[in-house]
Amino acid sequence: MELLLQQLFNGLTIGSVYSLVALGLTLVYGILHIPNFAHGALYMVGGYITLMMMTNAGLHYVLAIVVSIIVVGLLSVLMERLVFHPLRDSPPIQDKVAAIGILLFLEALAQLLWGADYRQMPTPFGEVVNVFGLTLTLQRIIIVAAAIAVMIFLYWFLKKTFIGSTIIAMAQNREGAALVGINTNKVAILTFFIAGALAAIGASLTSPINLVFPGMGHLVILKAFVIIIIGGMGSIPGAILGGYILGFTESIGATYISSDYKDIIAFVLLIIILSAKPQGIFSKGGA
Amino acid sequence: MPVLSIMGLTAKYGKYTSIKEVNIEVIKGEIVVLLGANGAGKSTTFKTISGLLKPAAGEIIFNDEQIGGKQPDKIVELGIVQCAEDRKLFPQMSVQQNLMMGAYVHRRNKGQIKQSLKEVNELFPILYDKREDAAGSLSGGQQQMLAIGRALMAKPKLMLLDEPSIGLAPLIVEQMFKSIEHINREGTTILLAEQNANAALSIADKGYVYENGKIVVHGSSAELFSNEEVRKAYIGA
Ligand SMILES: Nc1ncnc2c1ncn2[C@@H]1O[C@H](COP(=O)(O)OP(=O)(O)OP(=O)(O)O)[C@@H](O)[C@H]1O
Ligand SMILES: [Mg+2]
Repeated sequence: MELLLQQLFNGLTIGSVYSLVALGLTLVYGILHIPNFAHGALYMVGGYITLMMMTNAGLHYVLAIVVSIIVVGLLSVLMERLVFHPLRDSPPIQDKVAAIGILLFLEALAQLLWGADYRQMPTPFGEVVNVFGLTLTLQRIIIVAAAIAVMIFLYWFLKKTFIGSTIIAMAQNREGAALVGINTNKVAILTFFIAGALAAIGASLTSPINLVFPGMGHLVILKAFVIIIIGGMGSIPGAILGGYILGFTESIGATYISSDYKDIIAFVLLIIILSAKPQGIFSKGGA
Repeated sequence: MPVLSIMGLTAKYGKYTSIKEVNIEVIKGEIVVLLGANGAGKSTTFKTISGLLKPAAGEIIFNDEQIGGKQPDKIVELGIVQCAEDRKLFPQMSVQQNLMMGAYVHRRNKGQIKQSLKEVNELFPILYDKREDAAGSLSGGQQQMLAIGRALMAKPKLMLLDEPSIGLAPLIVEQMFKSIEHINREGTTILLAEQNANAALSIADKGYVYENGKIVVHGSSAELFSNEEVRKAYIGA
């Protein structure tokens, strides 16, 4: 019983990070229909910026995350302006190739700047606490709490503010959005910024319990794609639910089957869910 | 004084010329109708006015300002709002949210939004009854009302209405044209594209007839009604 609870909390922790990363991916997909493979590189850069701000600039963990959010958000916007915007009228395959190109470029750049070593990120929240009879590190509690707070804030922003609603409007009907006076270029910029920020938050939260290295985005981005396919491409609730489904399945699977197969679980889940619901759980998209 | 003067307007999709040297003049307070068969060029004219398509040649002057080639959002801010033929609603948003998005350019003026919402709900009470429903779940007629309501929320000076009667039951069509007349009486100038020439000419001040991307006849509604060719082609009597 205690083991199960421990694993459920583990699932909640990794699920929270998956959801954050998948949300950024699904928002971008929703408005531009680009599967942004480079999202994994944003995640990786997010981890490094936070780490560097802490070790080289001596910033507190929380401040370092704020810097990382801004830097990665702007990097994401730059990607939209320099690559995806100019390609907007080209055949879709060019977006995909370009996205993979950016991914490889940023990874090589990270290796050049910061080396190929696996690095440990320190955290001021290393202490162990007892909650409901479970022994947890404070960092894990912070991952869950911060991720949920970010998601609630994002939901409020998208649903309750005019500016946030423009993202949903553009995802549901691009020309309709233009015809009510929304500047679709600005919406694209805003969406890429949010996606970058979410990737930076996800990476910065999870790095103290994982490691920082140039390829750290690979598995995460693959899983984020699985999540948004499971949840329905472009669906916001789908990305959140999908992230947690995967998080729980992985941690339970690792305990009761074998942790060797942990990373395959995502793809098994993908096959099972798509056989039942080929369009994903929230097949209509939007939100 | 004309609110809208279109002079020598040509627009293309890639290499294909869709409309050629179109001239249209709309005076403040008028209802002006664009008539023409499928593919004649009515919607292309609207898309170009709204900035969804860049003009290849010619001028579009709105209140003394050249607007040809401006971005769609700038054109809405200037006061031209289009209600497109496929309605372009936000299908998973509620009816009320769609209307709110229509007021996007007035987002800082909460008082005015409230007032516009009240007016739209009075004009189309069904939209108030269905305010919580997803736009995509409405019937065709209700969606058309929502599209017009959403356009009204922007408080347009000039409203472009692209085939509002398409696919609607005859009874609803009649109601729709009454609503359009009402909107016009309240002070909105209207440019209307229609295939239903009879109904459209009965509420319009004047009209332009398109054929293969060109305007072939224009005149007052009375003139067009009595024009032999127009009668034969579009009124069927
Ligand atoms: N997106 C497009 N790409 C290429 N050609 C187009 C496009 N849209 C319209 N056309 C062509 O431009 C011409 C004018 O079309 P348009 O839609 O303006 O006609 P319309 O008068 O609005 O017709 P309808 O009454 O059917 O709506 C047609 O020959 C049409 O095939
Ligand atoms: Mg048309």
